[in-house]
Amino acid sequence: RGPAGRRMAAAAFERRVLRRAAEHHYLRVRLELPDGGARPNATQFKQLMVTALRELHGEVGAALPVDVLTYEEKTLSAILRVISSGLVKLWSALTLLGFYQNRRCAFRVLQTSPFLLALAGNSRELVL
Amino acid sequence: NTLTVCFSVGYSVVALNHVIDFKEKKQEIIKPVSPSELFPSLPIVQGTSKRIKVMTRLTLVVSDPSHCNLLRSTSANIRLYDIIAVFPKTEKLFHIACTTLDVDLVCINVTEKLPFYFRRPPVNMAIDRGIYFELLYTPAIKDSTMRRYTISNAISLMQICKGKNIVISSAAERPLELRGPYDVANLGLLFGLSESEAKAAVSTNCRATMLHGETRKSACGVVYTVKKPRKVEEEETAVPACKKAKTQA
Repeated sequence: RGPAGRRMAAAAFERRVLRRAAEHHYLRVRLELPDGGARPNATQFKQLMVTALRELHGEVGAALPVDVLTYEEKTLSAILRVISSGLVKLWSALTLLGFYQNRRCAFRVLQTSPFLLALAGNSRELVL
Repeated sequence: NTLTVCFSVGYSVVALNHVIDFKEKKQEIIKPVSPSELFPSLPIVQGTSKRIKVMTRLTLVVSDPSHCNLLRSTSANIRLYDIIAVFPKTEKLFHIACTTLDVDLVCINVTEKLPFYFRRPPVNMAIDRGIYFELLYTPAIKDSTMRRYTISNAISLMQICKGKNIVISSAAERPLELRGPYDVANLGLLFGLSESEAKAAVSTNCRATMLHGETRKSACGVVYTVKKPRKVEEEETAVPACKKAKTQA
């Protein structure tokens, strides 16, 4: 799963496949909160993620470098960036998060990709 | 309501579970609720143009060998369920379920510490017969103690079965307890599965369980034909019912 580079030589071509070359993975997530209480702002959202990581993976997990690139409070959706080696930890921590301020919530991971541009198009939203 | 969320999250086949616990007083096996009664029209799977399939499933919680007699009896209602699962509570029952019982799934307890250790012979026999082991992930969402039990039980199962024949499912009662299929496959990585095994736990193994259930209903086997784009038509056969320990390819 990485970009493949091809170089045309005089008579034959050589194909190079780079595995795990991407440094970061990007995730588009949406937090589902049943209507009612206050919605988290950006800081609280980041705090929620750190809490989720700490609950599942402890202090080492909570120290994982995660960035919130964009956050929309209206739809509670965000684009996150995480180091590639930490993708499984972050994704599992978000999946197993059940409560936000004693309210039931759920994280839905909509898209994930090693390239940020790939998050722009979502084939699941196509209407066939 | 929960099912409506299922559809939006990306599942293509859903099974509705009915749990029977034998510890309580005499329980009758009732006829499964027909999915067409619940939903007049099923929505379409996300990204394709087919409709969602809803199947019915029965889970028997057995803590005593006499409870298994129900499976051997020719109760008409049992045959109406598509998938039958058993939840053994003791080591002896686990052995019986893996080796002789006519079921599709063996549920592994995730809410408390396992009272018995897994041993290799019954697990290998179950894998040969085409029986799958089921893990639940919804208790892990609710409570942190259950999270530890889920992961520890799953890891000890993985050590014995090496990641084969695993199905991960949710026991969701509310729409917010459901997670998407790729999220669940990621949880498989936490349990110690490899990437391909984790994805299979949500997709291929589940389909195999469905076929196993259909095989059980029929007399000897199920044949699925798949048309290939070339002119030659090939046949895909599924494993026949668990009368034989080994099958010929």
